[in-house]
Amino acid sequence: MAAIASALLIFGGLRESGPRSQQDRIDAITLRLACPTCQGESVYVSRASAAEAIRAEVARQVGSGLRTDDETIAYIEQRFGSEVLLLPRSSGIDSLVWALPIAALICGVAALGVMFRKWRTADDGAASAEDEALVDAAMSSIKAMDAKA
Amino acid sequence: MLSEKKAKRVAPIAATVVGIVLICLLWVLVSAKPNPSDNADSPLLGQPAPAVVTTTLEDKPFDLSRRKGSWVVFNFFNSTCVPCRAEHPQLLTFAQNQLSTENPAEMYTVINDDDDSAVLAFFAENQGDWQKIRDNDGSIAVAFGVAKVPETWIIDPNGYVRLRIAGQLSEGLLDEQMSLLKVQFGS
Repeated sequence: MAAIASALLIFGGLRESGPRSQQDRIDAITLRLACPTCQGESVYVSRASAAEAIRAEVARQVGSGLRTDDETIAYIEQRFGSEVLLLPRSSGIDSLVWALPIAALICGVAALGVMFRKWRTADDGAASAEDEALVDAAMSSIKAMDAKA
Repeated sequence: MLSEKKAKRVAPIAATVVGIVLICLLWVLVSAKPNPSDNADSPLLGQPAPAVVTTTLEDKPFDLSRRKGSWVVFNFFNSTCVPCRAEHPQLLTFAQNQLSTENPAEMYTVINDDDDSAVLAFFAENQGDWQKIRDNDGSIAVAFGVAKVPETWIIDPNGYVRLRIAGQLSEGLLDEQMSLLKVQFGS
């Protein structure tokens, strides 16, 4: 049931929602770009002059139809640096931002799995061979002491 | 939990791995080169300058591609920007000095988010008879990756971007850099 629900969610999320207007594209692009003179604000939200200039440039490029969304973002990134990307790239060293948390999650779940398995098959309290040898030696010395006494 | 024997084996390995990671991080910090100069980095350096087609404040057309053959200096400016106003004497000195050089550089003020009247008023009061070009929609600033003013850019006679200075110009910096570039890339 969980697998079916997950599959449906993934399918719904990736599904194309139909043709986008130019304004939709402009909004989508500017939501992915950071205002270069503001702290953490997107170009979509910011009213700074640099953000407005970028928004105008994005509108020009979308209007001309010569570039895809990714190409427009790459154009802005090439001018202002990768700090202008609100979503890090999924290639090169930036991909660590995506890969490391997933790797940490997988390692964490695996470690928990190993721990749970160990706890389940843990020692039921039976004595080891060493313990038994220790007890035998102690018993022998007690018996020897009793015999002497 | 790990048995004592296993823990004794694992601990040195874990400590070694952590130590290696820390040493690598330290090496990255130590080997990072600070920028010793006032020059700012840009992916445009060494690349052809973006196309600039606009008008001057005298309503004359301006096309950067037609300026090939000359060194071009773009100074991105706003009349309300304090460092822009503060560096203006340096630009005046630079423009004056260029007149006595071989192949003097052409100075252009790129108006950034400002209105014509304010810019004209500034230059009327503070001098500077070079061309001022409009950037009404910010496309020139975006093309050069200029987010804040002042910025000064130098483009060589072949149309390649050679220098970017972000922030207020210090005394003599522009003259010095222009001289170096002329030696490096030819007058």
